[in-house]
Amino acid sequence: MSLAKIRAGSLVLGVIGVGLTLLFHWQVFFWVPTEASLGIVQRIFYIHVPAAWVGFLAFGIVALCSAIYLWLGEEKLDQAARAAAEGGVIFTTIVLISGPLWARISWGTWWTWEARLTLTLLLWFIYVGYFMVRNATDSPERGKKFAAVVGIVGALNIPLIHVSVLWFRSLHPQPVVARVDGPQLDPAMLTVLLTALGAWTALFFSLFLLRYATAQLEARADRLQAAGYAGQGLSGP
Amino acid sequence: MTFDRSASIRERGARSLLPVPVAMAALGALLIVAGVLLSEPAMAQTTDQARQMRHFWHVFAAYAIAWILLFGWVVSILKRLRRVEERLGGGE
Repeated sequence: MSLAKIRAGSLVLGVIGVGLTLLFHWQVFFWVPTEASLGIVQRIFYIHVPAAWVGFLAFGIVALCSAIYLWLGEEKLDQAARAAAEGGVIFTTIVLISGPLWARISWGTWWTWEARLTLTLLLWFIYVGYFMVRNATDSPERGKKFAAVVGIVGALNIPLIHVSVLWFRSLHPQPVVARVDGPQLDPAMLTVLLTALGAWTALFFSLFLLRYATAQLEARADRLQAAGYAGQGLSGP
Repeated sequence: MTFDRSASIRERGARSLLPVPVAMAALGALLIVAGVLLSEPAMAQTTDQARQMRHFWHVFAAYAIAWILLFGWVVSILKRLRRVEERLGGGE
């Protein structure tokens, strides 16, 4: 796929993402009913849960691309993994900030060391470590391979996060959407949640594609510079 | 033929406007956190209005910080893209 097509795709997804974002913000603040027991603070749910899902999706992409990169050694897969990891860290940070802001009101505490919160924080540290490991060696190629291993291992945390509230006694609510017996959520709330998920997903893929295209251009610039052509406006080999 | 990236990119970096939005985002985040923490004493108040205002601050802070983080990622990507396009387009 050419870089022009990747950037065009990024733009289209960005426009879709911005449109859905405007829609879900209108829904959150002007349409969806207030949850009876949790009150207005429950509206954090509509960014907290989609951010978690998109973060997990991003780290799943990291693990997949990293595994195939270790197998085939294709540079583009490492670039895709890095782009996805950046997005995953951003969205997991949103989860780890929006969650305590909600918890302070609902649970009376900013944080508790219970399973889901601790595992999510661990996931965040693992993927911050992904970037640190990339730059920790003298050989860039070794750094990429070490980072790929970290990316694969980190993704093993994701199913644990999902089942943690089922296996352990927890302050964190049990799943209300991803359930075997179907979503247990008011239809209006489910509509807003899915709109927000669509918005976050479109924005993630838009920025992921843009970041991937940027990495491709950086690799091209490095090749040209190594060959002595960079800065001359030539497209090079 | 060599590419002298040192002077041109340093000059551009010096003129970069990135510190301005980063500083604004940091200040915005600080104000939001301050707003949330300063609203904490409202816990001592039992009126519904005070409680609702505190809850609103938490909702506002969550959404604002989420968008600051996403905007920061966008700015980071665009800055890298501009830098690499300058490298490919040639220095001055």
